[in-house]
Amino acid sequence: MADNALTLSLRSRMWTREARLAYLMLLPAALVVVGFMIYPLIYVVLMSTYKTNALGWLTTFAGIKNFVSVLSDTEFWRITGRSLLWTGIGVFVKASLGMIIALLLNVKYRGRKVARMLFIAPWASSVPISVLLWSWVYTPEFGLLNHTLEVFGWAHPPVWLGTPIPGFIACMWVDVWIGVPFMALVFLSGMQAIPEDQYESAYIDGVNSFQKFIYITLPGLRNIILIATLLSALWTFNDFNAIYILTAGGPVNSTDILITSLYKNAFVYLKFDRAAVMAVITFLILTVISIVYAKFYFKGERKE
Amino acid sequence: MKHDTPAWRNRGKPFVIILTLVFLFIMLFPFFVMITTMLRSSQEVYATPPYWIPHQVTFENFAIVWSQYQLLTYFKSSAIIAIGTTILNILLAIPAGYAIARLRFPGRQVALYLFLVVQMFSPVVVVISLFKIFAGLHLLNTYFGLVIVDAVFTMAFSVWLLSGYFRTIPMEIEEAASIDGATRLQTILLIILPIAAPGLVTTMIYTFIYAWNDFLFALSFIQTQGKMPLTLGLYRFVGRWSSQWHLLSTAAFLAIIPVLVLFYIIQQRLVAGLAGGAVKE
Repeated sequence: MADNALTLSLRSRMWTREARLAYLMLLPAALVVVGFMIYPLIYVVLMSTYKTNALGWLTTFAGIKNFVSVLSDTEFWRITGRSLLWTGIGVFVKASLGMIIALLLNVKYRGRKVARMLFIAPWASSVPISVLLWSWVYTPEFGLLNHTLEVFGWAHPPVWLGTPIPGFIACMWVDVWIGVPFMALVFLSGMQAIPEDQYESAYIDGVNSFQKFIYITLPGLRNIILIATLLSALWTFNDFNAIYILTAGGPVNSTDILITSLYKNAFVYLKFDRAAVMAVITFLILTVISIVYAKFYFKGERKE
Repeated sequence: MKHDTPAWRNRGKPFVIILTLVFLFIMLFPFFVMITTMLRSSQEVYATPPYWIPHQVTFENFAIVWSQYQLLTYFKSSAIIAIGTTILNILLAIPAGYAIARLRFPGRQVALYLFLVVQMFSPVVVVISLFKIFAGLHLLNTYFGLVIVDAVFTMAFSVWLLSGYFRTIPMEIEEAASIDGATRLQTILLIILPIAAPGLVTTMIYTFIYAWNDFLFALSFIQTQGKMPLTLGLYRFVGRWSSQWHLLSTAAFLAIIPVLVLFYIIQQRLVAGLAGGAVKE
């Protein structure tokens, strides 16, 4: 009995020692994350409830007035709607193109390793710098994109970055272009985990390629598609570089999404309170997506 | 090796190759433009109608960007920021990753979950208040400020990746070391870290690339020309010299090469880290 109690207390003491060591080891990382991520987040929430001056100082407490003024602004809803459109269409196109490229790369032929390497290039290269390259590509008179489109029969391609709707499409395409390689790689990696014999028996049964894709490949990729789509949704919603570098939201805010608009409100128009409200709303939307992502991530881990 | 490529795989192969080439042309389009632009003189950049193959290939742009456009300064800033970030990040992520992988403590599961969610945190959401905080700490317009935020925003993913690697190391190796009288610190430094070297390299390269590619923080916190990293320097360059696309293409080529090389080293493990157990490495 006494012996039992002794081992129990010993074990609990060792356990606390181990726990104490663990907390000590986590402390430095936790401190910087709290100091430069969590504290700024709290500060932004605080800022959203105050009036601010042009330097960003909190002046008078405003309660929910800032939220009311932002939420009653039609411009805000237009930008939020555009953000959702941007994310929805962007992720859909990324996933579709990623799937096609993954299917192409899953066929065995000489040189497919090289093709795989080349397909990753947009993801591998520095995003802000390749977006700068795109602004040259889109240049109407001297740029090679419109020239090439004309060669392929499009007589008068639009002035991409100077007009609202083509501008938005042009930005969206650059964002898609950056995101496709990740999708393709993840899907490819998932396809290679599907047992070969499933396809072989399908071949013997005389099933065509399209049916194989619908009945074998897609169900086999279900979990991967979910995870990749959620992750991509976060990245897409959050993409600052493509729009800010290409059009800075212009002409006349017609290509702004929440992320770029909130940045401009703070650093260009110096309306920090308004920017803070938009930041809080953005944070809430992103948190919902992240939690769903984490859920599926852990589901995948457990299955393994 | 006939059985490697069963007959049903061979049908439609030329079609696949043609389609692959079409998609490659689309995906590599800006890089083709970059290469053909950097190899021509300014007169050939502004030809109407434009053409793909330069009439006269020249390498003069490399000399020009190097001598006249402060490219070296931008490179130096990018290198300082990226290396500093990598060091700070790995020093903090190793103990945290080890604790999560190996030690039992209350809240371990919560910590793991939090790290995954924090990894998704948007820098734009906090950049406004970070600006205020940096102003108070006199960190605006310093390399150190960028090093801290870049290290913080890569921390969750680093800890996540590293703890995954530490977990794959068999417990028996550590137990054997402790029986031989090694302390916990010795075990980590002399046994765990060398075995986890591939994981360390992946984490460090990921962090380096993140810092090298950062545009948002540099745009918000750096004002002087001499401290701008490549991303911001080239962005301002376009603003000021918007007609010099041949020089921008050359500078972009030089700026992209280091990250491209590093990225290819880690891409496989990066995908596995992001997509979790659903993907094999």
